[in-house]
Amino acid sequence: MKKTTIIISVLIILGAFVLTSAAFTVDQTQQAIVIQLGRPVTGQLGPGLHFKLPLIQNVVFFDARILDFDAKPEEITTTDKKYMNVDSYTKWRITDPLTFYTKVRTIQGARARLDDIVRSQLRVALGRYTLIEVVSHKRQEIMDAVTSRSKELLLPYGIEVIDVRIKRTDLPAENARSIYGRMKAERERQAKQYRSEGQEASAKIKANADKERAIILADARKQAEIIRGEGDAQATKVYAESLGQSPEFYDFTRSLDAYKSGFEKNTRFILTPKSPFLKHLQ
Amino acid sequence: MNWDWDKLQKQQQGRPGGKPPGFDDFQDQLEKLKKFKLPGWKLVIPLLVLLWIASGFYIVEPDEVGVVKQFGKFNRITTAGPNYHIPYPVESALTPKVTQIRRVEFGFRSVGRPVTQSFQQGVSREVKEESLMLTGDENIVSVQFIVQYMIKDAENYLFNVNDPEQTLAHAGEAAMREVIGNGKIDDALTTGKQEIQVQTRELMQRILDNYHSGLSVVAVQMQNVHPPDEVIEAFKDVASAREDKSRYINEAEAYQRDILPKARGEAAQITNAAQAYKETKIRGAEGDAARFLAVLKEYDKAKDITRERLYLETMESILSNPDAEKLIMSDDALKQSVPYLPLDKQLRRAAPKEAN
Repeated sequence: MKKTTIIISVLIILGAFVLTSAAFTVDQTQQAIVIQLGRPVTGQLGPGLHFKLPLIQNVVFFDARILDFDAKPEEITTTDKKYMNVDSYTKWRITDPLTFYTKVRTIQGARARLDDIVRSQLRVALGRYTLIEVVSHKRQEIMDAVTSRSKELLLPYGIEVIDVRIKRTDLPAENARSIYGRMKAERERQAKQYRSEGQEASAKIKANADKERAIILADARKQAEIIRGEGDAQATKVYAESLGQSPEFYDFTRSLDAYKSGFEKNTRFILTPKSPFLKHLQ
Repeated sequence: MNWDWDKLQKQQQGRPGGKPPGFDDFQDQLEKLKKFKLPGWKLVIPLLVLLWIASGFYIVEPDEVGVVKQFGKFNRITTAGPNYHIPYPVESALTPKVTQIRRVEFGFRSVGRPVTQSFQQGVSREVKEESLMLTGDENIVSVQFIVQYMIKDAENYLFNVNDPEQTLAHAGEAAMREVIGNGKIDDALTTGKQEIQVQTRELMQRILDNYHSGLSVVAVQMQNVHPPDEVIEAFKDVASAREDKSRYINEAEAYQRDILPKARGEAAQITNAAQAYKETKIRGAEGDAARFLAVLKEYDKAKDITRERLYLETMESILSNPDAEKLIMSDDALKQSVPYLPLDKQLRRAAPKEAN
């Protein structure tokens, strides 16, 4: 009774131990290889349940997901001799864990390789273009070139490079300052232009208004002279028509009127008795 | 018990080769378990088994999906509601939230509640190394934006990329900079925002799909885009210059609107004065003519006497003026006197007259 229990429990314990050290699971996010005395004995193991020999074999797990490698920003010289800080990241994956294990062993080792290769590829690619090409329309082209070259170079390590992407392209402080200077100058020029355009337009409008005014007044004066002329002409005609009926009477009365208004002050009349006015004095 | 298994596995994975270090522990545990002779331990075992079976139940909330792994390998997707999986260590379930829209900030950090959808200046802090970007016309602009995203494929999200959030942050930064780098600064500052948002969203989605990240970019929203602090004054001055321009023009137009009506008024005055002159002149002439003709009519009737009368009346009115000097001399005296004109006197008398 006691013996059997002991035997059974020993068996159970042994069984459990064998199971736990022989069976292992690989998660969906992992891949694994089995190593016997430091040498790989299996190929790549995908997710699921696997078995190995206990004690003499052990499992090395690798991440099967896409991994990040964020390189340190680096100063790069462009074709037009400008400096820029390029910050890139690399997306990569261990595609052949066996090769990976024999060549680089660890993620750290892989990072060192990636750093070397991606960095030098970027340097080469960026050096072929001008700063503005890197910043704008050649960016994609550069990234594609660097990605495909890095892919090629890292394949022997069991690494697949999925994407090398330029994250930031910044300028060193002194270059940024010169850009700020230029931006300022451009805006100042624009501001000046707006103001002088405004002044130009304003001067034109004012001058035009002054001209209009002058024309309006001149027209009015011209009109006025014409009207006055019409009045004078009309009056002359009326006079001529009426006075023409007896010029000698007009002559007489008008002369009298003229005497009346002409001899008003400081006039000395020397009258002789012969004067018709004094004829009754005799 | 379960917990021990777990620990054991972990320790085994951590150390390649050699005897599993958990082994001794494990034996002790078992010894303890054997010595552990409770009166009810025949009852405890089935209870433990029941508990183990029950641990396979899990609830998938409406905003989640269930992802079941069998021995670590993806097995199936389950939907909302209560579900069951074979208990550990055979199967395990994950329940990522797939309908929740998440938000990442670029170029700034909200201070206070980070999940507010509305952006207010003053409650955020600019992160310059993230926000400053080069534009295609070699200017620098500060762009602050947010990206809203969600999980569109739980399987990819969980198993394909080791850090989806970091991946999204990288993609967002790279995409926005690429789009800004392809455009001009004025597009980013003014009318091109919509276009930039659309392009960035599309580019981000392409990048993320390329990694099979299982993420979907819902929206890219530019929050605060402004010129760098170093040059912001110059930019503001451009805006005020534009306003100055329209102000100058408005002032000139006001001047125009002021003087032209006045000129037209003045013109009307001038022409009306002329009109008045004309009418006055004509009426004056007509009046004079009428008077003349009336007098003439009577004159024709009695020429001599009228003539005489008019002459005398005129002489009278002239000579009745006290200012006129009258001197009556006979013809003889006139003939004998030296005609002497005291011109100096005349002039002296004329002078004060001129002064009047």
